[in-house]
Amino acid sequence: MFKEWLKDDSKIILFDGGMGTEIFKRGIKPGKLPDILNMEQSEIITEIHKAYYNAGSDMCQTNTFGSSYMNLQKYKLEDRIKEINEKAIEHLKIVCPPNHLIVGDIGPSGEYKPPIGKATYEQWYSSYLKQIKYLEPGIDLWHIETISDIEEMVAAIQAIKEVSKKPIISSMTYKKTKRGFFTIMGNSLKDCIEKVENENVEIIGGNCTLGSKEMMELIKEMKNITNKPISIKPNAGKPRLTQGGITHYDQSEQDFAKDILQIVKLGAKIVGGCCGTSPKTIKEIKKGLDALV
Amino acid sequence: MSQESFYKEISEAIVSLDRDKAISFAKKAIEVNMNLLDVVEKGFGAGIRRIGDLWEEGEFFLPELMLGGNIVQESMEILLPYLKANKEDVIPGKVVIATIEGDIHSIGKTIVATMLSANGFEVYDLGADVSAEKIINTALKKNANIIGVSALLTTTMIGQKKLIEILEHRGIRDKFKVILGGAPVTKNWVNECQADGYADNAIEAVKLIKKLMD
Repeated sequence: MFKEWLKDDSKIILFDGGMGTEIFKRGIKPGKLPDILNMEQSEIITEIHKAYYNAGSDMCQTNTFGSSYMNLQKYKLEDRIKEINEKAIEHLKIVCPPNHLIVGDIGPSGEYKPPIGKATYEQWYSSYLKQIKYLEPGIDLWHIETISDIEEMVAAIQAIKEVSKKPIISSMTYKKTKRGFFTIMGNSLKDCIEKVENENVEIIGGNCTLGSKEMMELIKEMKNITNKPISIKPNAGKPRLTQGGITHYDQSEQDFAKDILQIVKLGAKIVGGCCGTSPKTIKEIKKGLDALV
Repeated sequence: MSQESFYKEISEAIVSLDRDKAISFAKKAIEVNMNLLDVVEKGFGAGIRRIGDLWEEGEFFLPELMLGGNIVQESMEILLPYLKANKEDVIPGKVVIATIEGDIHSIGKTIVATMLSANGFEVYDLGADVSAEKIINTALKKNANIIGVSALLTTTMIGQKKLIEILEHRGIRDKFKVILGGAPVTKNWVNECQADGYADNAIEAVKLIKKLMD
């Protein structure tokens, strides 16, 4: 079905919004990995997925952003990698309506290569492979997201291709500099796009770090470099803690959705939200997308 | 070679991230009995400041920042024992830095610590997931001027506020300047915590601390 959506020029695919920030809203204890809720408080996870599908998301991603082997090691949860990833699929399957899709979410390992950290390509590859094989049977496509080192992205793509033939959205996270968009590791937008094109991914994306206004600039530049379909998931500005200790993002859903429609006009095929966006945001985008048709 | 061109060569070695050259310049400066305070300030210091400028201009990124910081740190370790002046006069300040309890994100904090060390500060990096009490007790023990507390999550940011409340409760708030770091930290949060400042990145953090030390 996903491939048909890609071929249909009139179809804009609506992704989901933030998962981590939705979990934090419900008061997870500081220091806990949000992915552990797949086991401990699964009702929260299914509730969030359900809210996204109800709001209009065509596809939602598994709560597995931090469930690569290397990241789980930091929380001493690596022995539970199978359970965490398999449960994540179960929770999505319960609420995924017909003709909607399940996306396998792959986040950064949290480890950097020298001189910042000690990670190697082989470690990344093997860490992702361990996670991917548990997700593969239950998902329709992949979303590798929030990666800031193109080598780590390539490791994740190659690990997926080892066990899966399903489509891949390859989404890096960029910061805006005086010289254009780069990752914090210094990979330029052009370099990143060329490298993932060489890996034959189906969709190229940008998510997190940038807000919706900056993402408009990003997609303009992306369109100049690639003909591949583009996925964009911006943040809803910067978070702040209210007096009551609740995390709040200041950008309104209406303002965010307005920018997303602009991003669609600029050529995005897949849109959604990252940190700070919620089912309300997706609902607002859906309203706008329906009016476009 | 004139002194000025020697300083320039040191600075250029740092900016081109040439570790071997930088180390050999540090050794040479000791051998020929140069004024090491000037060597540190006009050579190595100028180099690391230029790296900071290049970061702000979008020419340098995390790997260059970290590598440059490490090279200067290593050179300083060679120079420090030979500095004739009192060590206390050379060091611009002492900083205790950590990521707050419940938060395991350490990369931003580590880069700030490296850049501070490269800028001559005496830095005690306590790592990630550190309790407010431990940070405060270390700061007291080391007679620190600055406490730097990082938090990447909005759920752990509250620990930054708690640390300042503990300082106030113990009647030692004015012993330290407290600065905050981490992606979700904003000016409003600094005001709410009554902290002394925050920085968006390692280069700004060095500038902020230097300003607070004036």
